Amino acid sequence: MTLHHYLILAALLFCIGLMGAFTRRNAIVVLFSVEIMLNAANLNLIAFWRYGDNPALQHGPLFTLFAIAVAAAEVAVGLALVIAVYRHFRSVDLEVMDTLKEE
Amino acid sequence: MSEQIAFWILSAIAVLGALVAVRKRNLIHGVFALMIFFAALSGLFLLLLAEFIAAVQILVYIGAVGILLLFAIMLTERVAGDDGRRMTSRGWFWGLVVAAAVFVVLLLPAIQQWPTPEVTQAPDPSVEELGHKLMNPYVMTLEVLALLLTAALIGAVTAAQGIRKPKEEGSPE
Repeated sequence: MTLHHYLILAALLFCIGLMGAFTRRNAIVVLFSVEIMLNAANLNLIAFWRYGDNPALQHGPLFTLFAIAVAAAEVAVGLALVIAVYRHFRSVDLEVMDTLKEE
Repeated sequence: MSEQIAFWILSAIAVLGALVAVRKRNLIHGVFALMIFFAALSGLFLLLLAEFIAAVQILVYIGAVGILLLFAIMLTERVAGDDGRRMTSRGWFWGLVVAAAVFVVLLLPAIQQWPTPEVTQAPDPSVEELGHKLMNPYVMTLEVLALLLTAALIGAVTAAQGIRKPKEEGSPE
């Protein structure tokens, strides 16, 4: 296995997540598409660390650890916002939430 | 050889899991596919000799994020998604085109230098060095992260609670 295998896999996963975020209407599905994209980025970080120059420095796992923690915080806040929006609009449909678009 | 077989199996599971999670109409099924995706990614981290990250991936993503998503789905509407409404947003076609274009652009640098130099030293997979690094140069980052998690916790509770109605003073019991 070379670095390229992992990079191409991560690019594919990232684009699947991007496709989900662009094409779905449900806010929760968009949120977990963003999670797929974040995980693809983490895979890239670990792959670069594994096949990089100085793996003893542990930069890859450290950075990934911090990214995972921030992503967990993001999911918690994101879901709380989804629930708050649901309480207001009675829907999690992204096309219903267009208050800022109206003149 | 066995590493290659494991890589192909795990990456197939990851891609399929992500696709199902993104395209499934029933949200509960989608979250379970997402958990399979997280598990496959954890296996890939193990293949890359990042043991601790693999464990954290299972604990945080499958254990916490997955359950949180399930709760959020059950607290909102249309769990089964079987009401025949459109699943995709307006302009989904252009979203698809942009995603494919981004994929090609991400692929270009990898293809241009295909014959890659074969590597080299395998990293030490033990967690000990990671712990030392977290304590010695990165302790400040760790503390800031703890602060961020606390702030996110309070923020999530406040946002989900909604606007509290002002309490009437001296209301009859």
